Amino acid sequence: MAASRKSRASGPPPPAATFVLDNGADTIKAGFVTGNKTDAPRIIPNCVARDRHRKTYVGSELEKCRDFGEIAFRRPVEKGFVVSWEAQKEIWDREFFDDKAPQRCDPSETRLVLAEQPNALPALQTHCDQMVFEEFGFYSYCRGIGPAFNAYQDIQAIFHTPRTPDTPVDVPAEVILVIDSGYSHTTVTPIVQGRPLHQAIRRLDVGGRLMTNYLTRLLSVRHFDMRNETFIANEMKEAVCYVSLDFKGDLEKTWKGTRGDRRDDYLSGAGIAKDYVLPDSHTTFHGVVRDYEPGVSARARKAAVSTEDVLTLRNERFVVPELLFNPSDIGMRQPGLADLVMQSLSALPIGLWPGLLANIVVVGGNASLDNFIQRLQMELLERVPDECVVRVARPQDPAISTWLGAANFARHEHVERLAVTKQEYEEHGAGWVARKFAAGLGAET
Amino acid sequence: MNNFGVIEIASTTTKNTPGWAYVPDTGPLPAALQPTNRKRAARNQPALSLSDLSAREETRIRKDLEALDRDSHRDANITIPPRPGGSRAQNKHTPNVRKILQSQKTFANHLDDYQALLALAESNPAAAAAMNAAQAKPSTPIAATPKSASPAPTVAPAGGGSRRSAAAAKRAAAKEKQEQEKKKARQTPKQEPDPETEANNPQQQEDQPDVEMPDATAPPQPTPTPNAEEPNPQETQSSYPRESLILPAYTKPPPRPHPGDADPLLVSYIPPFPSDDELRELMTAPPLSYLEARAGWGDEQRRYPVRVFCAVCGYWGRVKCMKCGVRVCALECLEAHREECVTRYGL
Repeated sequence: MAASRKSRASGPPPPAATFVLDNGADTIKAGFVTGNKTDAPRIIPNCVARDRHRKTYVGSELEKCRDFGEIAFRRPVEKGFVVSWEAQKEIWDREFFDDKAPQRCDPSETRLVLAEQPNALPALQTHCDQMVFEEFGFYSYCRGIGPAFNAYQDIQAIFHTPRTPDTPVDVPAEVILVIDSGYSHTTVTPIVQGRPLHQAIRRLDVGGRLMTNYLTRLLSVRHFDMRNETFIANEMKEAVCYVSLDFKGDLEKTWKGTRGDRRDDYLSGAGIAKDYVLPDSHTTFHGVVRDYEPGVSARARKAAVSTEDVLTLRNERFVVPELLFNPSDIGMRQPGLADLVMQSLSALPIGLWPGLLANIVVVGGNASLDNFIQRLQMELLERVPDECVVRVARPQDPAISTWLGAANFARHEHVERLAVTKQEYEEHGAGWVARKFAAGLGAET
Repeated sequence: MNNFGVIEIASTTTKNTPGWAYVPDTGPLPAALQPTNRKRAARNQPALSLSDLSAREETRIRKDLEALDRDSHRDANITIPPRPGGSRAQNKHTPNVRKILQSQKTFANHLDDYQALLALAESNPAAAAAMNAAQAKPSTPIAATPKSASPAPTVAPAGGGSRRSAAAAKRAAAKEKQEQEKKKARQTPKQEPDPETEANNPQQQEDQPDVEMPDATAPPQPTPTPNAEEPNPQETQSSYPRESLILPAYTKPPPRPHPGDADPLLVSYIPPFPSDDELRELMTAPPLSYLEARAGWGDEQRRYPVRVFCAVCGYWGRVKCMKCGVRVCALECLEAHREECVTRYGL
């Protein structure tokens, strides 16, 4: 951009505002940090969507969409990494850089902190660096590993650790284990003093998208074809799915029994069955969860209120999130989340285990599933030595936790050590920048 | 049927072609494919072998997973709509940016490229380096992070293991020398020599073999350095972690003593905390590649058989459909499944 070239020549003092961006596969979390003031992040759908009337929505325009039936998405982020910069640039432009953008940002006057997923492909990282400097022209730029930013929060407050109110908050946290369960995948990242321990980062390719697709498939087999209704299935997943603490028991309760021998639990719903009223796209546009009414058969209900489509969800409610803990249920050759943590820990000296296990933070959208942390804690306790204390917690809003951490990071002195200015980029080139970000903070405190 | 202990296993070489799957040809005899008697040919075919079924099963699972991993059911080809306020004056893009914007590559393409680059680097390092230089791409992360580029001058994290082994070798050599000296010299005190001082002056030892070295190498009390290489587990630790520059020690008073503390059944053992050098090495290690970071399917996971579920209702899959091998829970679901049981090849 032309403006950026001008500003570089004059050499102004470093800008005060930092733009913090967590560019997720499903939503972008974006906000400014100025001095000590942190604005709440905006959450923007990171997609270009087209509804059945062939109207297209870019990013936050999706709010204007009323009818989500048969909506199709194009997402610039694949597997957690920005792949289609054509679409991503359009979304960023409309949200941040245009004159009438809702979150106006002048890149040449702004520093950028960008969260990326660990273990990115170098080519994609280079693309990102080049776009940030050559196309958008930010004043300075810091690309860091998203889960590691969580260490810059007050971690002990998340765990409700008893402490005196005047205890200073150590930022970054000394030792934590961050589990980031997002839209594309789930990663386990051990972090010491804000530095991710790269050798022990592990990834499980189960994320929100896979779970939504799985729910869609189950419904299509059992009820009616929902394959084009991913958005509705996603809403349904968020509304009704929970992680089961007793999978076998719950599965038993939701079984209909053999023919001629209907189980009582099945007929009464056993507290698990829920009715989900699908949106009809004329009067209602979002689904509604209702308690299951036993005694009223599906056919009778259909006859009574013919206008609404009701799905009775039984084992779909907990079988879908079960994929996180048992990916082999759909034939995936990957370990469950608890085993994933153990694989990560086994790459580290045992001396670090107690600290990591006592400080497990679960972030990302899937952490909002009910009983997620309880189940993880339960499974981990079965696997670790008896002496280890296992504490698993999730922040208030797990989806924006990484953003909040990154915002704290933007105020921390570490950002100065990592950030690269546009001038440096032009002087040393993309390769130097990539190496600098790959080296991270180093070991010195 | 006696197989003489030979177990058929499914071939893993299945190719993903729509509608096709390559499976080992263990199927019906050629005569069965072109039967002389065309009556009821389909029924007279021999049953599918185990390997057929399992290869078919694997193909099905792989296809299922690929479908689940896709973003949308249909291939959505959404073009980006023009801006409402008229298109902004088109800036001139730099060549790099233009290339990136026009790239139609998917993540899978990028991943393949990366793997190809790694394979090239393995087989032909010179060519890979030349390619890297030509494209001005950053070096692969495994290729390392030169310390000169890191912002702060870090202490070179020499491989802890190798350094330790080198020190051990030196120590062993010195000990041998001492054994020889013992014959001439007077009784040596039974004290473990300090490895550091020894490592520093092996030359001195060689130069003056006649001097009473044991005295020189045995200072009255070796001062414990914070970066002691070998943490002594027996040592009572007042702070945990021990003195460390990276992680501050726990400074608060320890918990109240409990009468059961000394009980051998109740006592808890704290594993030795990694030394600063080890931590430094962990913190400065280069990132793993995308594929290396993927969680593996190890023996731990193979210990128990995979759970199977009813394809219709989702309960445990207790019965197998004899035609296609899909699991169902009971007769009712089996009938529901039979209505749509398709046994087409590879489906």
